[in-house]
Amino acid sequence: MQIGSKAAVKEVINPSVSISTKTKKSFFQRMMSQKALLAMSLPFLVWLVIFKYIPLWGWSIAFQDFKPARSLLDQEWIGLEHFKFLFSDDNFWRVLRNTIGMSTINLVLGFVTAIGLALLINEIRHIRFKKSVQTISYLPHFISWVVAASIVSYSLSLENGIVNIVLVNLGIIDEPILWLGKEKWFWVINGLTEVWKNVGWNTIIYLAAITMIDPEQYEAADIDGASRFQRIKHITLPSLQPTIIILLIMNLGYILESGFEAQYLLGNPMNLAYSENLDIYVLKYGMSMGNFSLATAAGIFKTVVSFIFLFTANHIAKRFGQPRLF
Amino acid sequence: MAKKFLSVLLMLILLIAVAGCEKDKETSGNADGSGDSKDKVTFTYFNAASPGKDGNTNETTIGKIFEDQTGVNFKTEYLVGDINTKIGTMIASGKYPDVLVPDIAIDKVLDAGAFIDLTELIEEHGPNIKKLYGPHWEQMKDKDGKINFLPFAAKQGFIKDPNITQGAFWIQRGILKEAGYPKIKTLDEYFALLEDYQKKHPEVNGASTIGFTALTYDWRFFALSNVPNHLAGYPNDGEVIVDMKTHKTDVYADNDITKRYLKELNELNSKGLFDKESFVANYDEYLAKLASGRVLGFFDYGWQVNQALDNLKAAGNDDLRYMPLPITFDGQKDQYIDPPAFINNRGIGITVSAKDPVRIIKYFDNMVKEENQKLMFWGIKDETYSVDDKGRFFQTEEQYAKTSDEDFRDKSGLNTFEYYWPMGDMLYSDGNAWVPGKQPEVAQVAYTDGDKAILEAYGVKVFSDLFADPDDRPWYPTWSAVVEQGSDAQIFGQRKTDLTKVYFPKLVLAKPGDFDKVWDEYIKEFNTLDVKALEDLMDKVVEDRIKAAAKK
Repeated sequence: MQIGSKAAVKEVINPSVSISTKTKKSFFQRMMSQKALLAMSLPFLVWLVIFKYIPLWGWSIAFQDFKPARSLLDQEWIGLEHFKFLFSDDNFWRVLRNTIGMSTINLVLGFVTAIGLALLINEIRHIRFKKSVQTISYLPHFISWVVAASIVSYSLSLENGIVNIVLVNLGIIDEPILWLGKEKWFWVINGLTEVWKNVGWNTIIYLAAITMIDPEQYEAADIDGASRFQRIKHITLPSLQPTIIILLIMNLGYILESGFEAQYLLGNPMNLAYSENLDIYVLKYGMSMGNFSLATAAGIFKTVVSFIFLFTANHIAKRFGQPRLF
Repeated sequence: MAKKFLSVLLMLILLIAVAGCEKDKETSGNADGSGDSKDKVTFTYFNAASPGKDGNTNETTIGKIFEDQTGVNFKTEYLVGDINTKIGTMIASGKYPDVLVPDIAIDKVLDAGAFIDLTELIEEHGPNIKKLYGPHWEQMKDKDGKINFLPFAAKQGFIKDPNITQGAFWIQRGILKEAGYPKIKTLDEYFALLEDYQKKHPEVNGASTIGFTALTYDWRFFALSNVPNHLAGYPNDGEVIVDMKTHKTDVYADNDITKRYLKELNELNSKGLFDKESFVANYDEYLAKLASGRVLGFFDYGWQVNQALDNLKAAGNDDLRYMPLPITFDGQKDQYIDPPAFINNRGIGITVSAKDPVRIIKYFDNMVKEENQKLMFWGIKDETYSVDDKGRFFQTEEQYAKTSDEDFRDKSGLNTFEYYWPMGDMLYSDGNAWVPGKQPEVAQVAYTDGDKAILEAYGVKVFSDLFADPDDRPWYPTWSAVVEQGSDAQIFGQRKTDLTKVYFPKLVLAKPGDFDKVWDEYIKEFNTLDVKALEDLMDKVVEDRIKAAAKK
């Protein structure tokens, strides 16, 4: 008994000792024990360094009067000239306004519609109907923007556009409206186009999260007499919350990416003041003028803003005790 | 075992790949330095200016003849995708084809020093090039006196294009017919005709008629913003008007002529004659609209609307086809037809990667001989063209059909050598047009009965006879001036375009009572731009070109 108990004590103590010694001496041991995992992640680390960190060197272009095919020593260094040009250009602030306006609309609309659709699809009982709704709703995601923009501009056209025909016949408007010519409507049109194209695709991640919810919770709620809406409100949505918050934080980092194709293809002289965004501006004043330095300066600006947004959002999530990115 | 097999296979593939690369290197110019030999050699040619079929020049009838004369064959490759990306990749890698046509990316290529100086090569090996390009010699020189590339068309004399490929106000032929073929010259007369006709015919084929439309899409916006300049009796000098006496340049986007034209359009709009979709339609939608026959009139450059005009021609209803007219504000002398100009910012050059520039320049020298130029553009005598007893070149209907057939053009090399090589333009020393398209005899073969009828009603032989001859403008066209990348002048150009794109639609679509208010707003914004940057540059360009022209 005594011996046995001693042995038991030893057994109890030993693991804790071994653990503490392991963590102390053991960086290599732990590495060895996880070598398979490490080996698997190594290529991605290499990829990250090669494609994400090394190119950061290219930021130096923003501080030069860069001319292609010249060695670094022959480049002329001009300090913050390009940043000065950007920040003193009225057009720059206009396109910045448009960029933030459109991406905010896209963000809000994107989240609300995707979550809404995911909840609706989840409530469908008929499997075939459910699948076909899902498929149809994410099909537009695979159309190229060139085609999508043509569909949109045709739908909105003055004479044969379905939107005008429907609105006129419903008596909502008296005569057809030249939608793409109304500059202030452009953000809305762009937002709705974005929703139409991507809502199905965006729901996938929420649907996946919904399948992770323990069905017993629903059964219990059922027994307690919860209605469908109550189940959505008290079970589905709270379970989705971590996913939503993580996605929100990540998307806030992309606040200066309001897309390019949609604005470029749907933009025209009449809505230019509201359709032009940062990417188009960079294309016009940077790339197509061969002014790569200016394009890089704008890129740096975008990255800095993204960082600020990402960290702020993450910090707020942390303060409120919500799940967060890091 | 499987592993071993795989590794052997991999080795084999690598070996083949390496061998393939080696072989490529060998075929590209086996330089023996002398350049005198007629040994068969293949060089590479890249054309970034137009799409086309990749191939070898010696696979075409004409290219084969050139190979027999010089021993040189070109492996041709054409642009697929974005030109700036493609040229940018070449510059970044430092590897170029032997011969390069960089089109609009030429400034980048020159900046990168990718072309070799041709001056000595031509002096030594290019007597025919010297002869053809001689009149334009000074204009070909870069700032540092080097000749980096051969611009395409060295103009010899002058001949008007029989058809209108440049700017004009176009009007449906049915309108002219109904009005009894009036001779109209002013903008008011032109708009009055459209208005009158639209009242009588509110519908075409079940759709409402559109009085007047305009092309404003993307970079083609100049089809709207250039018009005031033409109406005032100047040729297409881009963003500026050049005074004939003082030779001072003036950006006219803020001038009275622009205000006057936009006001006319504004009135047109208030009468319901102006196509509201003009400012939102893209290029394809615009062309489709023209081809539908609903549009009564529009301003544009012939080369931009060709596709729609061809569709209408093929459809066969002559009344719906368009007639180009030289309309001006008050009937002053028009200058729609381009003055003979030497475009010196597009061309073909030999790159630093070329191993045997001497053979290449000799090939070019051989091809610019008049008899070879005739071969390039007219084809083979009695097969693709004939000569009458006075020595005039003409085409029978059969020959015309043959040379219009894309398949035949590909096989014979008429497509390969159509442009984008060293070449002349206008007139041969025997008085025939350099290219068949400019020979009146050929233009007439292509005319339909409808064409002939309307030409007869106006008492002319070809369409361009209605247009005035161009005055002498040695600086023309100022739009071909090299504007340095990222310079103040270039930034002004972009900002001006942005501003006009925002304000022109507002001005045209404003309530007539608000027009002056919006115009004042526009001018206020316009005055904040650095106009002088561009005008100073253009003044300099005009001055230099006048000097260069005087030297020859």
